[in-house]
Amino acid sequence: MKRIIRSTYIVGALLLGVSCTDLDETLEDEFTTEFSDNGVQVIEGATEGGGQVPAALQAAYGRLRGGSANHGGYYSVQTVSSDEMAIGQKGGDWFDGGIWLRMHRHTYGSANGPLNNMWTETYAGISEANLALEGSLTAAEEAQARTIRALFYWRLLDTFGRVKIITSSTGDAPQATRQEVYDFVESELLDVLGITAVTASMDLSGSALGTDADPYVINQYAALGLLAKLYLNAEVYTGTAMYNEADWAASYIIDNGPYQICGEGCTVTNLAKRPAVDSDPENLEGYSAVFAPNNQYNPELIWAIFYDETSATGMNFSQMNFHYSTQLTYALDQQPWNGYQVLEEFYNSYDDADARKQASFLAGAQTDFDGAALLDYASDDPTLVVEYTPEISELEPNSPRQSGVRAAKFSLQLFGRQEMNNDYPLFRLGQVYLIRGEARARAAGDWSLALPDVNITRERAGLPAATTMDADTFLEERGHEMFQESARRTDLIRFGKYGEAWWEKGASDASKTIFPIPQDQINASNGTLTQNPGY
Amino acid sequence: MKITLLKSLFLLGAFICFSGLQAQTVSGTVSDASGPLPGASVLVKGTTNGTQTDFDGNYTLNNVADGATLVFSYIGYSTKEIAVNGQSSINVTLSEDAQALDEVVIVGYGTQVRKEITTAVTSVSTEDFNQGVINEPTQLLQGKVAGLNIVNKGGNPNDAPVIRLRGISTVGGNAEPLVVIDGVLGQSLQNVDPSDIENITVLKDGSAAAIYGTRGSAGVILVTTKSGGANQPFKINYNGQFSTQFAANQIELMDREEFLAAGGTDLGSDTDWRDEVTRNAVTQVHNIAATGGSEDANYRVSLNFRDTEGILKNSGFQQFNARTKLTGKILNDKLRVTFNSALTNRESDFGFNEALRYAVVYNPTAPVFGADAPFAFNSPQFGGYFETLGLFDSFNPVSILEQNKNTGVTNTLNYTLDFKYTISDALTATLTAGEQKAKGTNRQYYPTTSFFRGNAVSPFRKGRADFTTFENNNRSLEFYVDFNKQFSEKFKLGVTGGYSFQEFDSNGYYLQIGDFPPGVDFDFSNAIEVSQDLLEAGRIQANSYRNDDDRIIAFFARANATFDDAIYLNASLRREGSSRFGADEQWGLFPSIAVGADLNKYLELDNVNLLKARVGYGVTGATPRNVGLSQTTFSVANGPNGFGSAATGLGTRAPNPGLKWEEKRELNFGIEFAMDRMSATLDLYNRDVVDFITEVNIDAAANQGFSTQFQNGGELNTKGIELSLNYDVIKNDDMSYNSGLIFSTYKSTLEENTGGTRTIANLGAPGQNDTNVILVKEGEEVGQIWGPRFSGEVDANGSPILVDLNGDGELVTAQGDALAENADFEVLGKGLPDFTLGWTNQFQMGNWDVNMFWRGAFGHSLVNAFRAFYEPRIGSQSSYNFVNTDLARDDIRTAQFSSYYVEKASFFRLDNLSIGYNLDLGLDYIKGARISIAGQNLWTITNYTGTDPEASLQDFGPVDNGAVLDTSTPQVLAPGVDRRYNYFTSTTFTLGLNINF
Repeated sequence: MKRIIRSTYIVGALLLGVSCTDLDETLEDEFTTEFSDNGVQVIEGATEGGGQVPAALQAAYGRLRGGSANHGGYYSVQTVSSDEMAIGQKGGDWFDGGIWLRMHRHTYGSANGPLNNMWTETYAGISEANLALEGSLTAAEEAQARTIRALFYWRLLDTFGRVKIITSSTGDAPQATRQEVYDFVESELLDVLGITAVTASMDLSGSALGTDADPYVINQYAALGLLAKLYLNAEVYTGTAMYNEADWAASYIIDNGPYQICGEGCTVTNLAKRPAVDSDPENLEGYSAVFAPNNQYNPELIWAIFYDETSATGMNFSQMNFHYSTQLTYALDQQPWNGYQVLEEFYNSYDDADARKQASFLAGAQTDFDGAALLDYASDDPTLVVEYTPEISELEPNSPRQSGVRAAKFSLQLFGRQEMNNDYPLFRLGQVYLIRGEARARAAGDWSLALPDVNITRERAGLPAATTMDADTFLEERGHEMFQESARRTDLIRFGKYGEAWWEKGASDASKTIFPIPQDQINASNGTLTQNPGY
Repeated sequence: MKITLLKSLFLLGAFICFSGLQAQTVSGTVSDASGPLPGASVLVKGTTNGTQTDFDGNYTLNNVADGATLVFSYIGYSTKEIAVNGQSSINVTLSEDAQALDEVVIVGYGTQVRKEITTAVTSVSTEDFNQGVINEPTQLLQGKVAGLNIVNKGGNPNDAPVIRLRGISTVGGNAEPLVVIDGVLGQSLQNVDPSDIENITVLKDGSAAAIYGTRGSAGVILVTTKSGGANQPFKINYNGQFSTQFAANQIELMDREEFLAAGGTDLGSDTDWRDEVTRNAVTQVHNIAATGGSEDANYRVSLNFRDTEGILKNSGFQQFNARTKLTGKILNDKLRVTFNSALTNRESDFGFNEALRYAVVYNPTAPVFGADAPFAFNSPQFGGYFETLGLFDSFNPVSILEQNKNTGVTNTLNYTLDFKYTISDALTATLTAGEQKAKGTNRQYYPTTSFFRGNAVSPFRKGRADFTTFENNNRSLEFYVDFNKQFSEKFKLGVTGGYSFQEFDSNGYYLQIGDFPPGVDFDFSNAIEVSQDLLEAGRIQANSYRNDDDRIIAFFARANATFDDAIYLNASLRREGSSRFGADEQWGLFPSIAVGADLNKYLELDNVNLLKARVGYGVTGATPRNVGLSQTTFSVANGPNGFGSAATGLGTRAPNPGLKWEEKRELNFGIEFAMDRMSATLDLYNRDVVDFITEVNIDAAANQGFSTQFQNGGELNTKGIELSLNYDVIKNDDMSYNSGLIFSTYKSTLEENTGGTRTIANLGAPGQNDTNVILVKEGEEVGQIWGPRFSGEVDANGSPILVDLNGDGELVTAQGDALAENADFEVLGKGLPDFTLGWTNQFQMGNWDVNMFWRGAFGHSLVNAFRAFYEPRIGSQSSYNFVNTDLARDDIRTAQFSSYYVEKASFFRLDNLSIGYNLDLGLDYIKGARISIAGQNLWTITNYTGTDPEASLQDFGPVDNGAVLDTSTPQVLAPGVDRRYNYFTSTTFTLGLNINF
């Protein structure tokens, strides 16, 4: 009897060609081992941007794209919580449980979804860098990976303050204080720069990072840019001002870096020029060229996130910002979502002569691909013409569908896809001038010291040189230069304006300058994460 | 030894008695009240010597000992035992027995006599099946099995229904019951034509299903197909059905006048969009079956064809199915070989459910065709159709249906070879090998003029073709040995032991390509080489998948013991392994034990045939839905523009090498009671699903930025009661009336929830993202609808004023605060019904018969999504039509989720009414004929304002603006949301014809 059973098992197993208790599973459609270190080849000579990134760091660099220029994460949180933009509730559209209204009004709580997205996407980037660091890297590659990681930790420092400092791809760490996170970011950056402190006469020859002007590969100037930004905000983060260090780091970039302000004569072809519309310019020049879809290797870019409509996706401003009908202006692939609206006060603060006003917004009556009036057949307005009005009558519940001018600094191109081609600057020379100007002014307590640097950006914008300067005018100037670059929230906090009331936002408590640790994370952390004060 | 004994007895008998114990031949006729019974079984008691009656009810049995007893049985009839006592002719009349206590019921790996079953098992045979248009086998059972819930919300003929036995049995595993067809595990119900089914048995509780181990958690549905009988002449049966179907309940909308009065944008026409996209559908079904058999072999061959139209225009399917079942006996009848095969070819026109959704919300003043637009409109660009451009989530529904194609072809092949060898009277061995191969291709084509997915609005890149292929193979090999012996008058024992191997392979690919020459009227999905996408980077979407080693391997054993013919014990044990778990967690042990006793044998109550009490406990398991969750995977990061080569990066999910079996432990207590006219079964159960597999929030910082991971993350308890009653109100030769009632209720509680309290089931765009309406909380019932309460008052903005529920003077109703301590949120309803009822009535008088079936579910609520989005009179969106139910209020002008959109959805429905007549044609070549008329979904009593008050048992989340709904991962913890993509319900009338040649 037993023998029968046994032989049947054997026969059965033979029939099926496997052992009768074999449960090993090969996942044929997944990679279950790493191949990064297996002698992969780097193809040299890329010209379209993003080309010199070492193979082993492709994944880590790629993580920079997540959340930096799309809806629902870092960019959205930085932007909507500031006085740049809001997402009004347009009747039945864009209420979304009130998360964006609360983001704008600073009544966000720990259950806010975008905050959780920001947290997880940032840690995903950190882990990707950690994973790369555990492979075999050259010294330069290691320094780049650590700089990427430092950038992500700077974002956490700036937004959540108290976070876990994780430095291996597996494993946990205790929640650090904001000071500890600051110290970590500072020491990492100093280390990759081969110095122990930033000074006026520092020598970076010991740095593993290079000095080539490739904005897609982190060099010494990129790491210094991040360090300058860290020092500029040090007083906010730790209570200890580091303005001289911010000045020295910025000055080093300006003095030694191969970068230029993209001004007169710095042009790119206007990819949004409609064939039938004569008023569309042939070229984009100066400020607008820095952010154009074809801004690859713009001389002003120090460190930029490479985006591409097919191979490096993640920039969706064309979807987020525009009215549904704008699809017909540029013959876009996909219908936009009609979300982000620029605040009237912010838009009106620009001088009409400011080239940045023209470059940064879509405003007024819109036209279609052929230059005829752009119609919205679903409009309440009998003329049906789509017109972006600076005025937004209300934030909710019935923010008119066409109200608010729209952010268009990262300009569109004809037949654009859902994914955009514009590269997103993390650090650029114009910004570095503003860091230096502000750092010098704050270090000396004299805002006029910022004038030389501020006037460099004003000049490029076609504005007369400013002769007087105070904190408010400096902030306004900085706002115009850095619009849509995820800088405004941090700036408002540094200038003590974040808690002030504006438009439909009431005054908010100082505790709101740091976001709550996402509740999902606290719940899942077994008590290793605690909430920030005020939440 | 035995033979020697028999011989000596024989000799002894010959000496003692002349009329002696001689072996002889017995023949006769078996009949019932209405005539001969073909296919009845005749067996010499205590032996395997038996036969079946032929078509005229005649039988002949050789080698019958004089003192033997013959057992006459037939499904649905009381078994009779008659002592031979030298008779050579025995004619028997069997009487119908609704209780059928001696009926043989198929259970896992074998059969059992009904009265000996100690677990919760319900068996439904042909005569009790639902009538009318049955597109899918489970429809035969709807409302017939207490605790079995079958829901095809709306009734799309291309959708398989959601099947739930006793509520939620698993969180992260497959919640659908295991289907076993003619003994082969894991086959597709879609591959069996309903008319080929003889019997469906449902194993409900853990102790019954434990023999199937892992896949038995959600219950087991055992399907037995019809077969030929021994010694039957060649016979042909034809069954035809013709039906018409039309839309039933619809949600109230505004017509042109109402819409304009409400401030809607006038586009100059008057269109009833729902009328434009629906139709009176016509369906026909033809089944032909041929059967016959000799002493040693029998066969049944059937061909089935069905052409089913859906009420949505251009939707439906054509299915051709052929089934063969051959049985033969060789080696002195010791080896029985059965071969089963089925081939199904199904050509589906899926249509576009989106057309139904947009028909609800499209502007009723909009014209169908662009030529009728009130302003200059470039119609040719959109195929002549009108489109409201510039409005989110709005597509001309007629254009969707008329211009685009959504079709699929699936071929399924099953074959099974079954060897049963009788080693001795007590011992048999069975080897079953089977395979199911399903292969298919689905295609969608959106021409260059289609606004919906065809990108007609783009000046250049227009048109799109999608191709999806899939191939799923399921191989199994099972071997088991059965030992059965009556040891004494008082003790009978059956033991089964075996091995089971099953392997699933799947692979497929997806391709999306577009940019076809505009203005050309041609189906470019047949010529994709024309696509301009081939010339431009990043346009073509393609992916492929393959899994070859998904295996389940098991060893199992079972013992059935009967004491005193009244006390029954069933016990089973299965050790099972699955490749889906981590290396150390692959094997699980799944035991069960159940005891029962026929108390009436001892109490001897008057007129009582059976009073059985039984109790069973069983453990079953569930595997995760996906393979490979325990393994670490890496993603591939290509350099931009193809430069910089590639690197492996973090994978797409957090692996969990410790992932282990989800276990379901179930205790079931049942009482079965039967009298002459009445029978009742009561089951009480308590089931705990422990270590259920679910996606749990994890600390992203410590887990590589992954915020979720599949874990064994909690415990779910379900307690339930099921009652079925059957009563022969009238039972005489002229007339009968039988009424049956089933009642079931259960309550599922989340006892432990590692994932933490959270809300799920996002309402979606436009405007209601981050609006989760279902609460998941430890210690609470599953499926609570969670939100703020509407006070009934509206403020000056037209915003509904919500209630300060906790009375703290502060109104905290923002979705982000849904779980805050001071939130003014409450339970607004339950997604799962309090109880369900099924009420069957069968009348018969002369040649007439009438079946009436009512069905209802009570106590559940639904979030009416159409109302939540489109009922508020929102000014800035005035180009959507407004939903205008009885609950609508003109003063509400903003859309914000609250109790106002949660409705009680209790219903009681006349589900099926059929009238049949058996014709007496008196023709030689037609042996019988029957004609019937059936109506389905005839009348519904409910207060729900949506299209279908049926409970929504699971959720797929929202979808908008032409995106494709992902149905791969149903969320079972989120019942209660009536989404905007559900099909419209329909009423069906069917004419049926059945002829026996």
